[in-house]
Amino acid sequence: MIYFDNGATSYPKPPQVIDAVMAALSAPASPGRSGHAASLNASRSIHKARKHLAELFGLKDNSRLCFGPNVTWALNAALSGFGLKKGDHVLSGSLEHNSTARPLLRLKNELGLDWEIVPASNGRLLPLEFKKRLTSKTRLAVLNHASNVTGALAPAREIKEALGEVPLLLDAAQTAGSVVLDDAGDWVDLLAFTGHKGLLGPTGTGGLWIRPGLDLRPPAVGGSGSLSESLTHPDFLPDAMEAGTLNTHGLAGLAAGAEFILKKGVKSIRAHELELTKLFLDGCLRMPGLTLYGPGPEAEDRVAVVSLNLSGWSCSDLAAALERDHGILTRAGLHCAPLTHQQVGTYPGGSVRFSFGPFNAREEILTGVDALAELAAQKRR
Amino acid sequence: MADPEIILVFASNTEILNAEDHLEDKGLPFTLVPVPKEVNPNCGLAISLVESDHDLVLPALESAGLRPTSAYRRDGNDFSDWPLGH
Repeated sequence: MIYFDNGATSYPKPPQVIDAVMAALSAPASPGRSGHAASLNASRSIHKARKHLAELFGLKDNSRLCFGPNVTWALNAALSGFGLKKGDHVLSGSLEHNSTARPLLRLKNELGLDWEIVPASNGRLLPLEFKKRLTSKTRLAVLNHASNVTGALAPAREIKEALGEVPLLLDAAQTAGSVVLDDAGDWVDLLAFTGHKGLLGPTGTGGLWIRPGLDLRPPAVGGSGSLSESLTHPDFLPDAMEAGTLNTHGLAGLAAGAEFILKKGVKSIRAHELELTKLFLDGCLRMPGLTLYGPGPEAEDRVAVVSLNLSGWSCSDLAAALERDHGILTRAGLHCAPLTHQQVGTYPGGSVRFSFGPFNAREEILTGVDALAELAAQKRR
Repeated sequence: MADPEIILVFASNTEILNAEDHLEDKGLPFTLVPVPKEVNPNCGLAISLVESDHDLVLPALESAGLRPTSAYRRDGNDFSDWPLGH
């Protein structure tokens, strides 16, 4: 099997991640609840994840990094807890995933939010396009840091500078662990991430960092292990955002994934992934009948996600043939991002997405290119 | 007479764990204990130290921005408020 679906979830996971999850599953796990040693160890294991991620993202106060089940939870928690009101203006990029677009549409329909989508220019989002749309009612901007369809990396820091005081909610689903974000604490206002993609952890892990000075209404209230004497939910972080027992087993794995990345270095992972992507794009560029969507092989403003279509093939048939005939796993369709497919002209047909990870090798990329060439030739016979 | 035990209570479990990391890094003497129910009904943990070490431990915590919300002096089963800034 050749795994080119790291944009959905990374595979394989480092052995340390598997070991950490197994160890956590082999012990009692009631973090922050009981006073015994097993509970304390569970708390320490979650705390380790918090510390490692704070280091990866350059966060000075790790207590503002709140865990939840995934990035969709984080984005929903941020958008629904921000205190948006009827008539408030919110900007988003046009390469957003449904995890942002759906909660924004719901707020628009239910609340009367004024949601404005900033169009991309040649597949790229420009800071000026955000700046010129700011109004006195703009309360928030939401940005997919990297498209999960085209791989285009948004100039997030420059967009934040263009936004000025307007807070930026950054969706780092495709970039956390893969793109250097070690100064995010200096310029991002709300950072949403998932644990099971570039951070190499298990599914069911993710989180939201909230910069000092911003208060969100918690998405749920309940047991927190703190202020037990009170029926009022704590208002301090991370407890305010972490009602209920956390996914201790998964977060133990996420801690190991983040530690692996810190040791290897995000720069090194990024260089490897960009090299693989360039190799793949170079191989695809002159293939008859193949259409690529997104930044080209020389582009640095991209992640290791490539979308394409092959003449004569539907995207689903092509992905099925890649798996059946070549053992290559990709993802076909709209990738939960119809807005992006509309932007690049692949809606509703979709595309086949190849997404590479830190454990892919050059030989696998070349095998992938050869497989596409063979499947392209089949349709020309 | 034995050096009295001081119990430091923090706002959250995360602060306690940050305090644990920081004090361990500095090699300072302390132990983590369940919060005594006599002083706080929470489910969490507290830092225990002997009173004579407070002038090492508290400044170290302060330098890391970690401030206990309250502190108690333990005499057997009795607890009395221990003023922070002691």
